[in-house]
Amino acid sequence: MNLKTRKILDRAFAGSGVFSILLMTAALVVILVPMLIRGWGAIYFTATVEHRHLMLERFDRGNPERVADELNSTRETRAPLYRMITEFEKQLETSDSESRKRYTTPLRELKKAIHDLLGPAPGAIRPMLMRDQYGQMRWGRALVKLRNVLYREEWDYSDPTRGGIKALKPRAAEFTGTPVEPLCAYLENNLTDMMLPRRTLYWQFLTDNSYDSHFFGGIWPEILGTFYLAVGAMLFAIPLGLIAAIYLTEYARETRLIGMLRTCISTLAGVPSIVFGLFGLAFFINTLKVSSSKSVLAGSLTLALMILPTLIRASEEAIRAVPHTYKEAALSLGAGRWHTVMSVILPAALPGILTGIVISMGRAAGETAPIIFTAAVSVGKPLALWQVFSQPTPALSWNIYNLATEHEAVDEIRHVQYGMVLVLVSLVLILNLAAIILRARVSKRLKG
Amino acid sequence: MQTSVEIAGGKVQSPSLLLSNRARLRQRIAAVLGNGFLLAVTSFSMLAVLFIFIFIARDALPFFQHNGLREFFTSTHWYPSAGEPEFGALAMFFGSAIVTFGAILVAVPLGIAAAVCLSDVIPFALRQFVKPIIEMLAAIPSVAYGFFALVVFAPLLQQQGGHLLAVAVWIIGLPSAVLVIIVLSDVAGDRLSDRFQSWARWGIIIILGSGALFGLMVIGKSLSALRIASGTNAFNVSIILGIMALPTIVSVSEDALQSVGRELREGSYALGATRAETIVKIVLPAARSGILAAVILGVMRAIGETMVVWMASGNASQIPQPWYNMLDPVRTLTATIAGDMGEADQVTGSSRYHVLFAMAFCLLVFSFVCNLVSERFIRRSRQKAGG
Repeated sequence: MNLKTRKILDRAFAGSGVFSILLMTAALVVILVPMLIRGWGAIYFTATVEHRHLMLERFDRGNPERVADELNSTRETRAPLYRMITEFEKQLETSDSESRKRYTTPLRELKKAIHDLLGPAPGAIRPMLMRDQYGQMRWGRALVKLRNVLYREEWDYSDPTRGGIKALKPRAAEFTGTPVEPLCAYLENNLTDMMLPRRTLYWQFLTDNSYDSHFFGGIWPEILGTFYLAVGAMLFAIPLGLIAAIYLTEYARETRLIGMLRTCISTLAGVPSIVFGLFGLAFFINTLKVSSSKSVLAGSLTLALMILPTLIRASEEAIRAVPHTYKEAALSLGAGRWHTVMSVILPAALPGILTGIVISMGRAAGETAPIIFTAAVSVGKPLALWQVFSQPTPALSWNIYNLATEHEAVDEIRHVQYGMVLVLVSLVLILNLAAIILRARVSKRLKG
Repeated sequence: MQTSVEIAGGKVQSPSLLLSNRARLRQRIAAVLGNGFLLAVTSFSMLAVLFIFIFIARDALPFFQHNGLREFFTSTHWYPSAGEPEFGALAMFFGSAIVTFGAILVAVPLGIAAAVCLSDVIPFALRQFVKPIIEMLAAIPSVAYGFFALVVFAPLLQQQGGHLLAVAVWIIGLPSAVLVIIVLSDVAGDRLSDRFQSWARWGIIIILGSGALFGLMVIGKSLSALRIASGTNAFNVSIILGIMALPTIVSVSEDALQSVGRELREGSYALGATRAETIVKIVLPAARSGILAAVILGVMRAIGETMVVWMASGNASQIPQPWYNMLDPVRTLTATIAGDMGEADQVTGSSRYHVLFAMAFCLLVFSFVCNLVSERFIRRSRQKAGG
């Protein structure tokens, strides 16, 4: 090969490295950006009057008179809708059975669609389920529901080689020549006046309880549960990890036993997280019976086991990074070994150890698999401190999974899911950022 | 130990600092006790590993005793809740394997390229900005990756999957085709006498170039026309798991590359090798065992991952038709454990409960063996670097 080709190959080689790093950065951006943007949408969004109604009724927030005024004005703009429907219903009662048969189902579907959008009709009996008691809280969802009122989805399965093909049929066409015919146009033109959308900062999303399986309210129980689990795990793991790290760096000689210990630590680091979950179930709950069934305590213990190796390694590294001169100076002043460790080495290694603690805490907060069988439930109240020994808790990580896959109306509560992801991801990233900054300062200090 | 005792004990002249025999004994006992206590706490992780093995095996054994090994490892019939339950887990083993294989296919080339770039190509100042990116990728919780795979990536694949694949093929295929053509034309040109050289070179470039372009266009077209029935499939999961395994692979193999001494690199440069040649022919072979360890750790990360595969693999316990079809949904061991335990938990002690422990035991043994192997590789690479 001549030199030119070799140079080109060399460039291409460097280019492929840069390309893969760029790709990694792009992956990070692509994954983070939708979560951050849509997660922020759970807190800052265009809320309708229904949201303010709910806030007033359930949380005692907002100005009662103003909300009452708004409700009155929306009731007035909504009134013609319901008038059209009642008029048509009356007309149907007196008409022949043929047209009654023809209109009953479409009318019922129309009323259902309107109920989904605006909430219960005035004067109707208050429904049992909370989700049926209010109209759409969020303007974005309201527009989706508006489309459901205006159009009926029809699926065409006539071609078996492909999946069903969706077609939208305008509802107004079903009611030509009836009093309901102008309803759709009226709704479309006046929806803003019926819902009074306004940009709202609902920061209480973070501190409110959830209502009616996360249809309403915030994610406080999940945040608190994650906090308990992570802090609990750290409480168990920090002493064990620190002592192990001190022993391995300062006391242990490289015997076969210590070699085995190190192998065990790295084995522990490699155990799949779901296996930790099963072990927590089989050992902490079924054998030790730390609690009668799932509990925060069992979950914390399981998580503690999982983060132990990370913690040991990080602390070991931090202790090894302390310059030898520190130790030698302390020993030459007559300090014993334990004394040296406690008063010289640990303080010097502390920022590095903190880095490890912070990173493992992020990991404990984000893990899902170990707590599925040991601590997590999908719906629950925020726990008091003394309940952690016996009660299971909802947690951010578990509920992200649960709401995104097992909830009865996954699409209705996308914003809650994104909100949880935002909170969890920013929690973990902030912890990691803190660790990165801490480490940068440490390395500067140890150098200088 | 030695130093402190000597200084505190005998060699100091001032009599007030001398310790009595009893005090010295007390000190020694305290030291031994303290040492023992520290060792006991440290061996806690050994105990934990032991207990994990014991307790998983204890609940896995009844299944093997009751149902034997054959059905579990060779059948694809997974009907745990049927009247006559069948526990054929072959499809799950296959699912775990194909997903891991896909993840490695994504993560290993990218990861090694990135590690090489970090250790040998980009300047130190820039590295300080790249490292946090890798750390953030490693820090994002797996459930967030799973959520992304399910809610963002799966619909995208379902609607635009074909076009995405086509674009990816172009991005990878075009530069590599250009490179291959340049090298081929060069090599072929060298064989001929000077008179025909440039002619031959241009001939090869034009023929191969148009051939490659045509091939890429055909592949791109057929991929664009591809319709993906479901976005939650092995391909989706492989990509996401690949991204998740990247940080591990990058950091471990970067360590391995760094531990190859400067002397080797400088020797190679001195002989006139370019940077690429130095890395490919000298540094990578020298760092081989460390890189193998990185790959194994990446495999472990991918095969043990639960949330992403549970959310986005489709959870269909079947072997795709044909078996290499990554666009079919699959089901993995981890996802089966996570998904079925909810129902099996009610009937603790049934085969349905124990079969999940059997799967966990297989995972455990696999990760244990992988860990031992990777540790051996890492140790070997350290020895090489040290010696």
